[in-house]
Amino acid sequence: MKKYLVAYSIALQETLQRRSTLLMDRVGGFAVVLSLYSFWSALLGDKPSFLGYTRAEMMSYVLLINVLRAFVFTGRGWQTVSEISSGRISSYLVRPLSYHGYSLALDLAQKTVHVVSSFVEVAVLAWFVRGGVFLPRDPAAWLLFALSAALASLLFFFMEFMVSSLAFWTSESGGPLFCFDLFLQFAAGAFFPLDVLPAAVRRLLSATPFPYMVYVPVRVLLEKVSHAEAARLIAVEAAWLAAFALAAVALWRRGVRSYAAEGG
Amino acid sequence: MRARARKYGRIWLRTASMAVQAQLTYRLGSLGFLLGKMIRLVFFFAFVIAIFNHVQTVAGYSLAETALFFLTFNLVDMAAQILFRGVYGARRTVTEGDFDFYLIQPCSPLFRMVCSTVDFLDLVTIVPVLVMVGMVFARLPPLGLGRYLAYGALTVNAVVLVFAVHVLVAALAVRTQEMENAIWIYRDVMFMGKFPVDVYARPVRWALTFALPIAVMTTFPAKALLGILSPAWAAYSVALAAAAVALSLRFWRGSVALYTSSSS
Amino acid sequence: MPAALEVRGLTKDYRSPVKEPGLWGGVKSLFDRRYKDTRAVDGVTFDIAEGELVGFLGANGAGKTTTLKMLSGLLTPTAGTATVLGRVPWRREAAFQKMISLVMGQRSQLWWEIPAYETFRLNQAIYGLPDAVFKDQLEELTDLLDLGEHLTVPVKKLSLGQRMRAELAAALLHRPRLLLLDEPTIGLDVVMQKKVREFVKAYNRRHGATVMLTSHNMTDVTELCRRVIVIERGRLLYDGPLDRLVARYADHKIVRARFTARVDPADLAELGTVTACDGESAVLQVPRGRVALAAAALLRSYPVADLDVEEVDIDDVVRGLFSRPPA
Repeated sequence: MKKYLVAYSIALQETLQRRSTLLMDRVGGFAVVLSLYSFWSALLGDKPSFLGYTRAEMMSYVLLINVLRAFVFTGRGWQTVSEISSGRISSYLVRPLSYHGYSLALDLAQKTVHVVSSFVEVAVLAWFVRGGVFLPRDPAAWLLFALSAALASLLFFFMEFMVSSLAFWTSESGGPLFCFDLFLQFAAGAFFPLDVLPAAVRRLLSATPFPYMVYVPVRVLLEKVSHAEAARLIAVEAAWLAAFALAAVALWRRGVRSYAAEGG
Repeated sequence: MRARARKYGRIWLRTASMAVQAQLTYRLGSLGFLLGKMIRLVFFFAFVIAIFNHVQTVAGYSLAETALFFLTFNLVDMAAQILFRGVYGARRTVTEGDFDFYLIQPCSPLFRMVCSTVDFLDLVTIVPVLVMVGMVFARLPPLGLGRYLAYGALTVNAVVLVFAVHVLVAALAVRTQEMENAIWIYRDVMFMGKFPVDVYARPVRWALTFALPIAVMTTFPAKALLGILSPAWAAYSVALAAAAVALSLRFWRGSVALYTSSSS
Repeated sequence: MPAALEVRGLTKDYRSPVKEPGLWGGVKSLFDRRYKDTRAVDGVTFDIAEGELVGFLGANGAGKTTTLKMLSGLLTPTAGTATVLGRVPWRREAAFQKMISLVMGQRSQLWWEIPAYETFRLNQAIYGLPDAVFKDQLEELTDLLDLGEHLTVPVKKLSLGQRMRAELAAALLHRPRLLLLDEPTIGLDVVMQKKVREFVKAYNRRHGATVMLTSHNMTDVTELCRRVIVIERGRLLYDGPLDRLVARYADHKIVRARFTARVDPADLAELGTVTACDGESAVLQVPRGRVALAAAALLRSYPVADLDVEEVDIDDVVRGLFSRPPA
C-alpha cells in the first residue's frame, strides 16, 4: 500500500510542477463551463423552469459538470497508450507492482489537483450566477452524491483502461480512445442534461453505464430522485463498475500475455 | 508570380496526397478520430434541435438561426483543421529537426509548417456540415444575393483570422520549442464560438469581440447573413483579420530570426 | 579553380538563458532574463575550391555541426563572413538553396509512413525540377545507391543503411553543387559505410560537386579526403593534406590481443607502448611500420586467443594534434 502512497505524492508534486499544462487544462475547462452557463442562462431567460429544472438547478447542473469533469474524466488513458506502444510498460511489468494500482494512484493525484481547482472556479462562477444555485439541505443527498461520484470515477477509470489496453494489439489505439472519450462525455451528460434528448434515446442510454458518470450523480444531488431510487441507481452503478473492473483486468491480462508472447 | 503560385500549389498537392497516404496506413486510428469528430458534430446538432422541441427562441434566435451559428462555427473550425493541420505538430517539427530541412529548402518554411500535412480525411466531416448549412439556408426566408456573398466573404475572413492564430502558435513553437498546449487552449476557448455571442454577459461579449475575437470568427458571418451586422462591424472584421495576419507574420519572422541566431 | 567557399573569421555564440532555481526564479526569469554566451565557433577562416572533397574534423562539441549549419544557411553567425557559391548562405535565397544540400546522419527528411519515392516527388516540387530532369537524376541515384525496390517500401520498413541511402538520394535530386555531410555513416555497418563512401566519391567525381564531410569514422576520412580541416573548441587547428596529419599525429596503430594464459605487461613493452593490460588481454600502440612484425611476434611468443589491428580513433588524432606544443 505504501508504494502507492509514494507514487501518489510524487505524482501530486509533478502535477503541480507542470504549471503551464495545468493552467491550460483548467482554462480550457473553464471556457467550456462558461459557454454552457451562458447558453443555459440565455435560454432560460425569464422562464421559471426548463425540462423540469429551475434556473437555480440548471446552474447547479452546469457548475457540477465542471467538478465532475475534473473528478471523473481526468484519466491517464493517453499515457497508458503511449507507455504500451513505446514499450516503457515492460519496466512496470517486471516490478512487484500492480499497474492498475499504480495508475490509479497517479490518476488520483491528478484528480486531487483538478478537483480543488474546479471547486475554486465553480465558487467564483457561483458568485456571479443570477438567481443563485441550488444546493440540497439534506446531508443524505450529499452522501449519496459523493458515493455515486466516487463509483463514477472508478467506472471511468476501468472503462478507459479497457480502451487503452487495445494498444497491446494495435499501435493506433489513440483513435478509438479519442472517439471513446468524446462519445462518453456526451452520453454521460457532461455537456447537457440528458433530459434534452428524445425519450427513445434516453431509454436506450439508461440501459448503458454512461449516464451514471455525470447525469445520475447530478440528479442525486439535485434531489430529482428519491433516496430509495438513488440507492437503486447506485446499486446498478456498482454492478456496472464490478463488471467493467473484471473485464478490464481480464483484457489487460490477455494484453500482457500477447505482448510478452511477441517479445515486447 | 504565377510560376510561384503554381509551384506552391504543386507542393501543397504533394504534401496533401502524402498525408492521405500516411493516414491510410493508420486506418484504425484515423477511423477513430473521424468517428469521434462525427459524434461531436451529431450530438451537438441533435442537442440544438432537441432544445427547440421545448422552446421557440434562444437569445432571440430561432432554431434555423441558432443552427446557422453553430454550423458556421464548425465550418470555420473544420476549414482551419483541414488547411492548417501542420501547426498541431509544430513543436515536434522543431525538436525533431524537420524544421531545419524547411529552412534550407527553397520553399517558405511558414508554408510548410502551417499548410503542409493537409488533413483530407477531415473533408469527410466538412461535407455533412455543408449539407446542413444548405438545409438551414433552405429554411431561412429567401435572402438577397448580397447577403450570401457577405456570409461567404466573412467566413473566408474568419478563416484568415484563424490562420493568424495558427501562425502565432507556430511562431511560439519555433521561439520556445515548447507551447505544445497553445493550440489546445485555442481549441478549448474556440468552444465558446459554438453559440451566438449574444448569449454571453456583456464583459465576456466584449472580450470575445476585441481581445479573443472568437465572435468575429464565428458569430459575425452568420449575423451578416441574417442581415443584423452593420457594415461598420463587417469592416472591423476585415481590418482585424488584416492586422492580425500582419502582426502574426511579423512575429513569425522575428521568431525565425531568433531561431537561426540562437538555436543549438 | 574558383573558390566554392570563402570563410573569413566565422564566429558563433550561443546564448542560453540562465534560470535561477525555484518558483521565484522561474517567475523572475519571465521578466528579467539573464543570458550566458557560449562561443561555439571562434574566428574560423578557410577556402575550399570547387570540386574539392574536404574532411572536417574535431571532437564532439568542437563546432563542426554549427559551422555546417552556418554554411547551409540554417544559422546566422555572430561575426565573420562566408561566401558560398558566390552567395551569403544565411540570406536563404532560393537560388542559393537550389545549389546546396545538407545531410545529417541523425536526422531524416523522409516521411516515415510512406515510401521514400513520395518524398522525392515532394522535393521535385520544392526544387522545381522538370519531369525529365527528375527522372534522369532519379535513375542515376537509384543506380549509384543501389536503391531499386527500396523506393516503393514505407520508409519505416527500411534498414538503417537503406534509409541512409534513400536520404542521400532525397538530398541530391536537385543536383547540388555543394554537399554538406554531417556524420553520414553514423550507425551503419561496415558494408553500408563502404557503400556510402563509394557513392560520395562517385558523386563528387561525376558532377564535380564540392563536398564537406564530418565523421568520427577514420576510414571515411582516409578513403575520401585528401584535405582535412580540424577544429577544436571552435578554433581552426589544422588545415592541410590528410597524409601529413595522419603521418604526424596517427603514426601508430592499435593492436588488441586476448590471451589464453596470463601475460606480463612488462614483456609486451618491447613490441610497442602498452596502454592497457590486465594479464588476460592487452592494448598496444604500435608504430605504423612495425605493425606486421609486432603481430607476428605476438602470435609466435604469446598464447594469443584473438588479435585485432585497428586505426587510431580520429578523436585521438585530433586530441594528439591539440596537445601538440605551440610551434
